[in-house]
Amino acid sequence: MPNKASTFPEEVLEHVLSFITNDKDRNAVSVVCKSWYEIERWCRKRIFVGNCYAVRPDMVIRRFPELRSVELKGKPHFADFNLVPDSWGGYFYPWIVALATAYPWLEEIRLKRMVISDESLEVIAKSFKNFKVLVLSSCEGFSTDGLSAIAAGCRNLRELDLRESEVDDPSGQWLNSFPDSFTSLVSLNISCLGAELSFSALERLVGQCPDLNNLQLNHAVPVERLAKLIRQAPQLVELGTGEFSAKLQPEIFSNLAGAFSVCKELRSLSGFWDVNPAYLPAVYPVCSGLTSLNLRYANIKSADLNKLVSQCPNLQRLWVLDYIEDVGLEALAACCKDLTELRVFPSDPFAAEPNVSLTERGLVSVSEGCPKLQSVLYFCRQMTNAALVTVAKNRPSMTCFRLCIIEPQAPDYQTLQPLDLGFGAIVENYKDLRRLSLSGLLTDRVFEYIGTYGKKIEMLSVAFAGDSDLGLHHVLYGCERLCKLEIRDCSFGDKALLANAAKLETMRSLWMSSCSVSFGACKLLGQKMPRLNVEVIDERGPPESRPESYPVEKLYIYRTIAGPRLDMPGFVWTMDADSVSRFS
Amino acid sequence: MELQLGLSLPTYNFIENFDLNNGGFEPKDQMLGSKPWISCEDGNYLDNKRSFEVAFEKNIKDASQELPLLLWSGQPNDEDDWNGEKKISRSINKNDEEENQVVGWPPIKSWRKKVLHHQHQAGHVVNSARMATAGNYEYGTGSNSKYVKVKMEGVAITRKIDLRLYNSYQTLTKSLISMFAKCKNLEKDAARYSLTYQDKDGDWLIAGDVPWQTFMESVQRLKIVRNAG
Repeated sequence: MPNKASTFPEEVLEHVLSFITNDKDRNAVSVVCKSWYEIERWCRKRIFVGNCYAVRPDMVIRRFPELRSVELKGKPHFADFNLVPDSWGGYFYPWIVALATAYPWLEEIRLKRMVISDESLEVIAKSFKNFKVLVLSSCEGFSTDGLSAIAAGCRNLRELDLRESEVDDPSGQWLNSFPDSFTSLVSLNISCLGAELSFSALERLVGQCPDLNNLQLNHAVPVERLAKLIRQAPQLVELGTGEFSAKLQPEIFSNLAGAFSVCKELRSLSGFWDVNPAYLPAVYPVCSGLTSLNLRYANIKSADLNKLVSQCPNLQRLWVLDYIEDVGLEALAACCKDLTELRVFPSDPFAAEPNVSLTERGLVSVSEGCPKLQSVLYFCRQMTNAALVTVAKNRPSMTCFRLCIIEPQAPDYQTLQPLDLGFGAIVENYKDLRRLSLSGLLTDRVFEYIGTYGKKIEMLSVAFAGDSDLGLHHVLYGCERLCKLEIRDCSFGDKALLANAAKLETMRSLWMSSCSVSFGACKLLGQKMPRLNVEVIDERGPPESRPESYPVEKLYIYRTIAGPRLDMPGFVWTMDADSVSRFS
Repeated sequence: MELQLGLSLPTYNFIENFDLNNGGFEPKDQMLGSKPWISCEDGNYLDNKRSFEVAFEKNIKDASQELPLLLWSGQPNDEDDWNGEKKISRSINKNDEEENQVVGWPPIKSWRKKVLHHQHQAGHVVNSARMATAGNYEYGTGSNSKYVKVKMEGVAITRKIDLRLYNSYQTLTKSLISMFAKCKNLEKDAARYSLTYQDKDGDWLIAGDVPWQTFMESVQRLKIVRNAG
């Protein structure tokens, strides 16, 4: 067989490979033999780099000379929750400088949690002849000046998506930089922008792009402007509205309802910042067609919310605040049989007392009523083992289960026992579980269950759990597919980490903050594991100024073929062999 | 203790259980057996490892990165957990804006939190305007927070604090001093700085000249400035 494969004409193999798009499959192809490696690398068009410090841009360029699409991730996931100090890193600039000279035909850049300067955006705008897709997810560092450059320079732009990015000095005038001849936009997500937009520029843009099917507006677009925008783009499939808060006026309402009723293609709705519920019936005409509804920013209270959701029997995805309450989830379970993904966010996470009636019962109802449910993110204030066991048995096909009980280390509120058994049932029953987040009172026992049953878990988030190193050991030893592990405020320390050092090379990254890992152990890991970057983050000052046995504040370990990074701020120390000898 | 593999660890007592010198990475069999969660397979795995290492002992120096740096003993943290220091770095941030809140918990995107604040603040303004025109819908209870930005001269990073957490100039000043103490020697030099605020009209005034309540009603942002001379 190997002989036959190698006598394949290259062109044929190249053609065959063009049907293989999955990253893992491409990687598998490239390790079959030298000639496959060569052919594969010359025809690879897309690359995904899960950690921008795991490889250097020049290495990527040398191996893959023909890329059209680059996707990069920067900061650790816990940066979302303010656990990564500002100026930690994740800079896009070194990448764009290299990409700009290597790939004049680059079409797509997708970045997550990276720092992007306006200068970088300007380089994008002027370097790539046929640039089409820019997705900046949870990114920062740029302003509307950079967006102006993109608008003016990328004549074939199809997608501009700024989801959850932090954009400085937002001025709505940048939309004016799209030229009059510009017609290619398919998707525009500017929901994160703070300032008012230039409505005339927005209306012009929407009107001149006939293929626009996804438009996510920011909160500053008032409801009275929305109708006109929608009428210009009745082909929209996904829409994020602006604010919905104007005082009810019959003519605005009927105008809006009329506009929505011509949107026959609409499948996804989001936005609804600051809702005046009196306007909600205006969207009812499109509700039966919706498969996705994102009310994460909509402060619609229980009764109105449930009326809205009950109009949408075909929902597959629902993101909602906890105003939906247990009754709403029960209704959802009764009417939405296609639901695959549910996220319930807290409306007032810092309140001492519950402000809504949302408990474990809502989760149980949905797990009972929605046979296709695969992914859950659920914030609530109380949980029981019995409820978790029921949820586990109801939906064995779940792939993502993230439960956040808001009070750290909350036990089963009925029995006051740890939630070990409940989460144990989750990992035992969910054979395909890929992502798991734990919360509540948990002992080492739960990690034993996870290590034993969680064979497909790729990402695990742990907070305030476990009693000893044993917990971490079970996870590192047992979870064969583990790729990302993030831990905060757990008493896991050196032993488990050192005993499973080799495991870390098989993972993308490990984050540990406020745990019990000593500086000495970090040094040892860094010294002995040259393919790992072991970075200590300590804002209290140089770790060597404290005894070696002291726990470090934060620890970020990732595998890399690039060696230690060079852009570390003063509060990050890398434990490579050189620096270790320097320290000791 | 000389370690063949050059692994020198900080000298915890538990290291004695993991004497990497005795060539065999000796699993503590009876310990494994006594732990119900260590299955037979685990034991076998360790046994296999050992025979491999024994067989290729001469070569394992180079292969050390494929071996554990420490052998798991099946024994959780020893008693000598840094004399109870292990909780030392609990991420409760006492000086930060959400007093006694755990930083980053519950895990809600900071981006989203900003949006909520924005909504609440905007809501207040819009709401009062609406009340005036006798609008016909009720706005929610709104927020109990009043977030303002604080900038200190010579410090790049601006902070945000919830003024509702304070009830006097004194408590506010104290909290600001500890908040910015990292950046400047503020504790020593507090007298050399003044706290100023921008009022609703955009004018910068010295904090403390008006009653606290009046200040709370009009403050838009804060700035710590160095006194002239």
